[in-house]
Formats: sequence, C-alpha cells, structure tokens
Amino acid sequence: MIIPRTIRRMKEKMEHKSGPYAYLFQPYEGDEVVSLDCETTGLDVKNADIISIGAVKVRGKKVLTSERLDIKLKPPKTLTGDSIKIHKIRAADLVDGIELDDALEQVLAFVGNRPILGYYVSYDIRMLDKFIRPKFGFGLPCKAIELSHVYHDIIKWRMVGGNVDLRFDTISRKLDIPMLERHTALGDAITVALMYVRLKYGDPPELG
Amino acid sequence: MPSSFNMDNLPFSLLTKKEQALLRQNLDIGYFQKGEVIMESGSVPEGVHVVLKGKVSESETRDNKGGHEHVFVQYENEDYFGAWSAIKGKAIHNFIAEEETICHIIPIKTVLELVSGNSLFADYFQQNLTAKTEIAEQYGASQDMAEFMLARVSEGVMRDPIIVSEPTSIKDATALMREKKVDCVLVKKGSRYGMVTGTDILNAVVINELPISTCVATIATYRLISVHPDDYLFNALIIMTQQQIERVVVMDNDELVGIVDLTDVLSFFSSHSHVIGLRIERARTLDDLHMAAQGLNDLIKSLVSQGVKARFAMDLLAAMNSRVMAKLFDLIVPADMQPHVCLIVMGSEGRGEQIMKTDQDNAIIYRDGLVWDEMQEVMNRFSEHLMEFGYPRCPGNIMVSNPEWVNSLGDWTQKMSDWSVSWTEADQMNLAIAVDAKPVAGNPALFKASRNWFFKYLKNNDAFFSNFAKVALEFNTPLTFFGNLKERGQLDVKKGGIFPIVHGVRTLALENRILATNTFKRLEALVEMGKMQEKHARDLSEALGLFIQLRLRQQIKRAEEQEAGVDLTPNTLDLQSMNKMDRDLLRDAFHIVKGFKKHLELHYHLGSR
Repeated sequence: MIIPRTIRRMKEKMEHKSGPYAYLFQPYEGDEVVSLDCETTGLDVKNADIISIGAVKVRGKKVLTSERLDIKLKPPKTLTGDSIKIHKIRAADLVDGIELDDALEQVLAFVGNRPILGYYVSYDIRMLDKFIRPKFGFGLPCKAIELSHVYHDIIKWRMVGGNVDLRFDTISRKLDIPMLERHTALGDAITVALMYVRLKYGDPPELG
Repeated sequence: MPSSFNMDNLPFSLLTKKEQALLRQNLDIGYFQKGEVIMESGSVPEGVHVVLKGKVSESETRDNKGGHEHVFVQYENEDYFGAWSAIKGKAIHNFIAEEETICHIIPIKTVLELVSGNSLFADYFQQNLTAKTEIAEQYGASQDMAEFMLARVSEGVMRDPIIVSEPTSIKDATALMREKKVDCVLVKKGSRYGMVTGTDILNAVVINELPISTCVATIATYRLISVHPDDYLFNALIIMTQQQIERVVVMDNDELVGIVDLTDVLSFFSSHSHVIGLRIERARTLDDLHMAAQGLNDLIKSLVSQGVKARFAMDLLAAMNSRVMAKLFDLIVPADMQPHVCLIVMGSEGRGEQIMKTDQDNAIIYRDGLVWDEMQEVMNRFSEHLMEFGYPRCPGNIMVSNPEWVNSLGDWTQKMSDWSVSWTEADQMNLAIAVDAKPVAGNPALFKASRNWFFKYLKNNDAFFSNFAKVALEFNTPLTFFGNLKERGQLDVKKGGIFPIVHGVRTLALENRILATNTFKRLEALVEMGKMQEKHARDLSEALGLFIQLRLRQQIKRAEEQEAGVDLTPNTLDLQSMNKMDRDLLRDAFHIVKGFKKHLELHYHLGSR
C-alpha cells in the first residue's frame, strides 16, 4: 500500500502520541542538524543491508566531531565482493560490530527530532526506515536536508541553462572542501557537514 | 576529524596512544569565512585550533592611534595556533581567517587535561623556541649522534689524574705509570701542576742523559691547557686540534679533577675528524695537504647526516680550515718572510661560520716597509693552491691574489678608515668582511695592531655605528612567504635570517669592542658585558643555528643532486621539502629576527624606514 509520506507521518504521530518516542515527532526548534551517512552492501534498498552508520552534529558554523556516532554492525549475509570494492570493509573488519537493533536505538537517540542532512539522504533514510519501521512501528519522522539540493539552489542562479553537475566529487571540488576518508560512513558524514556549513555561511562558490 | 587528524606532527606526536584517543574523541571542526575573526584579543578562546585548510594570521590589536596592524605569523596546513591563549584562558592576539578556513578545534578542557597529564607536551606548548628545538632534537630520529657529540667532558672519558709529589724521581714515576697503565702523571709543585709524559721521560733519559734519580718536577711542563668539566667533549677535541696537544687537564674552578687523553676522545668519537687533522699536520708536500683537505667535505657530510649540531660542525671545520691554510702558508712562504706577514681570513671564514668549504676570503697584512719582491707572485700561488684544494675563488675577488687585499699595516688601516666613512654599499660590505678577520698564519701581531687601531678609531663614533647597522635592516624578514608557501616555496635564508643576525651582532660587538669574531661567541660576550639579555642572546643563537642547520641540510642535498657536486643556490631554502616541525621552527626563528631588527632600529636610532 502506497501512502504519501506526509499522511503516513501524521498517522504515525497519532499512534505514538503517548509512547516513549513521542518527542521524535515534535517540530525541531534548535539550530542543529545531523549529518548522517550509511555504508551499505548495495544500492537497492530492498536487498541491501547496512554495515556502518556515521553521523555528526552541526551547530551553527561548527561541525561537532566530538559529538558523533560511528557504528559498525555485525556483518550481514549480503556483504559480498562488489560493495567491498567501494567501501573496503570486509567481514573481518566487522567482527566487533554491534547488533542492528542496538544501532537503530543509538541512531534515534542521537538524531532526535533534528533535521537529517545527507547526500542522496532519501536513500539513507529509506535504508534506515526499512529496519526501523518493523521494529518501532514508524519511520524516521524528521525533516531531511538534501545537500545536492542546497548546492543546486545556490548554484542554479549562476548557471543559466545547462545542467548542474551534482556528483559528490564535483561538489567537493567546487566548494574546495577536502574529502576526508571517502567511503567511510563517518568520513562522508563529516565531509557533507563541512560542505553544508560552507554553502550556508560562505560566499557562493566560484564557477569555472 | 577523528582519524584524519594528523598525530605525526609535534607536539601531538608526544602524546601517548591513550591521550591521542582522548584528543580525537573531543575534536570539533570549525568553518570560518574570509576575514572572520576566529579569536579576538581578550576574549575567551574555544581551544587550540589546528588548520585543516586555509590560512590564519595572528596580529596585535590595532592601537588607537590608527597604526598599522602588526601581523606576526601566518598559519596554514596543519599549523596549530592559540595554544598560549588557551592555556591562559584569554586570547593574547587577534586571530583572523585570511581566507576561507577549516580548523580542527581542541577544546580548552581537553588541552588542559593533556597538558596536566603529559609534561613533554606541556613543555612544548609553553616554551619558547629554544626549548622547542631541544625537544625536537631529543625526539629526532638521529638522536644517537647528537647525544654523542653533546657528551660533556665529565661524563665522557675523563680519567682520574695520577698525582705525584715534587721530589718523586723519574724511576719511581715510571714505575707508577707502568703500574697504573697510564702514559702521563701530574706533578704538584707548590700550588701548580706540571705534566710529565712517557715521551718527556724518554727524552730526558735518552737524549739529555739525565740520571733516573732526577726529580720529575724538573722535566715537567707547567703550561697546561685546561677545560671545564661541563665543557663539551667535542670542544676538548677542538682545543687539542688547535693547540696540537694530546692531553688537557680538567679544572673545576681551581681544583684539578681529571685528565682527558686524546686517544680516549678519539675512541669515543668514531668519526675520523682527528685523522684528517693529523694528516693535515703531517703533510710534508702540497700533494699530501691536497689529499687531506679533500677529506673535509666528507667529514662534514657525515657529521651532519649523523645529526650533529651545525654549530659544532662549524667549529670543527673552522679549526680544520685554518690548519689547512696555515700549513699551506708554511709550505710556500719562505721561513724568513713569515714573521713579517700575516695571513688573515675574513667574512664567514673569519667568524668560523662556514660549513661547506666556501669562497676564499683572505688577505695579507705585511709590515710597513717590508721589501719582498716576489710577494705577489707567492700570493698568487697560494690562491691557486687553495683553489685546487676545493676552496672556490671569491666572486668579489677578495683574496690574496688580488693586490688590493695585500697591504702594509699602514695601508690596511687607512683602507679601513676610508671604508668606514664611505656610504657606498661595496665599501660597507668590505668593512663588514674585514672586521670579522682572524689571523691564521704568519705573525698575528700585525693583525692585532690593525684591530686595536680600528677599535680606537671607532670609539664614540655614533654616526658610524648607525650607518653600519642600517645594512642589517636592508632585507625584509620573509614572514609573509609562509602565506604563499604553495606558489613560491623558496626563500633566501641568508638575506632573510642569517645576515640580519650576523651583521646586527657584528655591529653591537664592534661598538663594545669585543674581540671574538664568531657570532655565537660575540653573543656570549655581549651577555657577559651586560649589553644584552641572556634570553635574548640565547634565542638569537638558537635561531641562527637553526638557519645554518636547515641551509646546510639542503646544501648537501643539492650538491649531491648536481652532477658537478656543486650547489648553485647555496642560500635557498626549499620550504616544500621541509617537514612541518622544521617549518614551525623556521617561522619562530624569523619571528626572533624581526624582534632583533626592531631592537637594532631603536638602539641605533634608525627610525622607521
């Protein structure tokens, strides 16, 4: 059954009004966002599994790497050759990973009702929802901020006609943000956070 | 950034694994726009910042008179700043982002925790350049050799002296020496000590046919050269090389505490410095001397690559070079002429501050009225031979093959006084070179006469000094170079750092009639006379030592890369090939130069230029 996201969220909010997770559904008032990234075994939400989750808080112009989430999960069955080439995480690297259920609780506690920031963030949220929904009976209710949209909104005024290149590496280069530990969940989360701060507070990037 | 934060840089590499983890745990990342004030003077800082990307300048608060902002330092790639401010809990200067900047921030709480837990780390943060260098040295990979060279007399190879009383006979003394397996005894005569060696005894008994019942006191040598127990063993070696002796006594104030024997020192220093020294000494022909001189460059290279401080290597090389020149002088100047002429070396050679064999800067002072027709011809040969030995010609032609630099005492003093009232750059440089002169061969009295005359001549001549000092301010301190590190990674360390210190100290030394020519010794003398604060002098020595050391390291590297084995750009420092630590130290050193120039400006009333 396909229910539009807003309606489903209202429904879930009603259902959890008096539950322990009610605070997740409150509108967020602060000035923090959470930059989040998952490394997964594939790009297809249905069949992929999460292997690590990284997240940092962004407060104003500061990326609070001291308040971070860096979770490794137990190796899932779908951890096979293809994705290993990208994130370079082997089953052996995940021997001391934690159970998925514990991880999800940590994520919920860390994120709270803050907006979630990411690059193709809807994928990460759907990935998490896939596991959160059966266990908790709701999906991540918070607002999502898509980095490539923020970038696009700023850049489009300066690029009449023509397509905006929204590849991660391109954005990173245009914004002159160093890519820290590409393809680790935490590294990508921090890089995205820095890009976001740069876009939000810095001058529009030079084009060329 | 937790794991991309580079822990290999000092001071963070001083932390233990556990402390590094704590540091990582608490790092934040800050983003600053161009022109944004990261920390304002007087405000409470967030913590120590480490630049991840971008550029930050540290400056004094703008004064109310609208004066220029005085930028001290610029920070970039992996530099940290605000340590002092963090420890004091109050920013001491303004820190402003020169361009978009991303910084790691170590919160104050964490900094204080690390500082209180790790004393090395705390020292590094809190100390000045001198201490920083020391920590870097102790921590450097090549610490073995450095420690080795820095061994003190008292902790190295000092032997207990064997002392006999005055009436002891040669026979008893010999028996004692045999029993103790030593080659020398000291004999006490009154309050003085004399030294008797195996050779002395042999000479006395075999050559002079003295009876073996003779008192050793009568054949002892009483002119003993002494060193202090705290002196570097290396210095003892230099003294022995210079004085051509094989033993020195160790005196603590007036008390005799030991003897240092050359063979012991030699076995202590596995390097072959003395071997070369001996070969120079024993050279009978020009060819012998040539061979011996060849070894000098290799010696310096090996010393430096083993991490010996450039300053000590310089001392040794200066002693060696003088010996080579003196020996050459001996070989080609007729013995009957030697008392009437004096060979002086000038410039860096005179100061004992050259490391690779550099240009010949030398001159001759001869007695007024000396008649010696072949003099110029002999001097030409002298220069030729030095060139063969690997001492390049002086580009300014300041060498004895140029008749301009072969003068009678009267002409020489006249020249110095002419230069001192001239304002042309060439004359000022000539004078600067000449006042660093040191006699190496011939009759040193001629040189002393000229120097004493010059000191007298300069007395109370304030105008001269301020004119002379001005040259030290000629070149800008290249602090801004750090801002352009990537585009222009090279700087001239001689103009920017070495020359201002050397010339400034030279001027101060002249003013205070200090006889030493070596910049380090001049600084020591200035402190002793109360003309300079000790801390100030120490910082300057340290800065100069650093410049020389860094320059030397790159010179050797370049000389090896060049086919001809000659370094074409001897004063260039390539910043990109230096590590973070060295760049850090270099920056601090330039900072010191800047302060010193300011001091000169005030002292000699040079005003703002």
